[in-house]
Amino acid sequence: MGGMPLTFAGRMKLVPEACQGILTSRIVKAENIIASCPKTDQHLLDQMKVMGCETTNNNVEAAGSSDVVLVGVKPNIVPRVLHDIKSCVTPKSPLVTSVALGVTIDSMESILPDASRVIRTMPNIPALVNCGASVYSKGTYATADDVTLTKRLLLSVGTADEVPETFMDAITGLSGAGPAYVFVVLEALADGGVKMGLPRPLAQKLAAQTIMGAAKMAIETGKHPGQLKDEVCSPGGCTIQGVAALEAGGVRASFIDAVTQATLKSLQTAGK
Amino acid sequence: MGVSDDVVQPKQAEAVVQDTIIHLETTKDCLKPAKIGFVGSGNMAQALLNGFVNKGLVEASNVWASAPSDRNLAKLKPLGVHTTHDNGLVIQECDIVFLSVKPHLFIEVNAGLSPIEGDHKPLFISIMTGISIEKLEQMLSGIVQNPRVVRTMPNTPCMVSQGCCVYCLGSNATDADGIIVKTMLSSVALCEQVPESQLDGICGLAGSGPAYIYAVIEALADGGVKMGIPRQLAQSMAAQMVKGAATMVLESGKHPGQLKDEVCSPGGTTITAMHKLETGGLRGTLMSAVEASAQRSKELGKHN
Repeated sequence: MGGMPLTFAGRMKLVPEACQGILTSRIVKAENIIASCPKTDQHLLDQMKVMGCETTNNNVEAAGSSDVVLVGVKPNIVPRVLHDIKSCVTPKSPLVTSVALGVTIDSMESILPDASRVIRTMPNIPALVNCGASVYSKGTYATADDVTLTKRLLLSVGTADEVPETFMDAITGLSGAGPAYVFVVLEALADGGVKMGLPRPLAQKLAAQTIMGAAKMAIETGKHPGQLKDEVCSPGGCTIQGVAALEAGGVRASFIDAVTQATLKSLQTAGK
Repeated sequence: MGVSDDVVQPKQAEAVVQDTIIHLETTKDCLKPAKIGFVGSGNMAQALLNGFVNKGLVEASNVWASAPSDRNLAKLKPLGVHTTHDNGLVIQECDIVFLSVKPHLFIEVNAGLSPIEGDHKPLFISIMTGISIEKLEQMLSGIVQNPRVVRTMPNTPCMVSQGCCVYCLGSNATDADGIIVKTMLSSVALCEQVPESQLDGICGLAGSGPAYIYAVIEALADGGVKMGIPRQLAQSMAAQMVKGAATMVLESGKHPGQLKDEVCSPGGTTITAMHKLETGGLRGTLMSAVEASAQRSKELGKHN
């Protein structure tokens, strides 16, 4: 893909790493990326500079010269940033994308000029290591090309799926919050290992690799998770003992509860 | 990606099924003239006999049944079987003898038997819970040398030809004896051979299992009644639903988790209910039930 100016507007941890992913995928050249942040976040701009990107402290300057703007500020700052840049947003250019949690397409379109092209995205934190589970929803005026481009950008940091905006709260509860649930599982598995005599670093490494490996099996074999579980549990063996302990602890319900509660919180925050 | 050795490839499975069918067909022919005996004629014996006769495996006129009183024998007489109060007569006459007395009565029954005359060496098929092959062989060696014994564990739904039954071969029983047992019991049950060590587990699962399901059916019906459905309808619906779900597992070849997913549409009624079941620890509870029954079976076996 040829020169295609891309702006990263705003301070967000995700952005330099996401940028790295995008650069590696060669969708955009570094010199065609402009990052914009307040002066207080100069260190982030420095990271972007090192990668070969242009930098500025001026959102309007950045957005005005871009085909695609990625708004990466905290959700409550998004309205202000959109107000800042709206003078240089037209239906022709740029495509405005957001990764902000809970900021609806409607809220963005109502600030920006009529017929502005908007796409709402939600990556999750493992995008930092190119293993994100991202979703996106197209705004009223976003085109098929806009969707294709957004998908390609998100694919550079993990998986990408288009979803109806109505799914966003549940996705927040599942893959948005999900890494935290898995970190808890990881720590607990390691605790179990330590309890049974393993050194902590080894226990933690094995716990993490086990989770990663199991997930990989689920993704690559396409088998039902129940089927995969059965295949590990030989009759009267160790694994089924462990599984019995999990069931006795009601672990399945706990996970269903976790996703439920996080989703409800997301809905509540959105005032639904 | 390789496939594990445990997975039977379709062609292989077909060959096994073909072999078994040939075996069973041949065996059915062999059974026709055979004399079948029942020592003890209670509910399970009656269920088995009815199954054998209905499936045309056995001629009632080739069947002998014994019991201490006429109470049970009266139910078998109409079928045209020979009835007697003499256990020894059944054993002397028959080629295949089902030991179907209540387990705690068997010592007494065995003590009352005289040695078998001549070269007659029947195949003994025990349906008595908790009496091991070792014990059976030891006890029966009093009436015949190197007794041929097969230990089985049928469950109560054999009475409606929807049973689960497993069998274990004793030290003097041949593979052919195993095929005979399988052929006969398959007329009323899903029947498989297992090592004797698995019997406690099978007891926990298929032996006690019907009771768990009766409780499930009753509770589901209670739920229905609570939501305004008349009891009779709620109960028949609950039972038929359980039967239907079980049939889907047996016939679809799909993983139960897969079948569950296929009923649970996003944000729907079923997944909402599943959450309740998980919160109530359904899975863990059922696993514990099977374990507890199997443990108790083991304890009782030691006691015997």
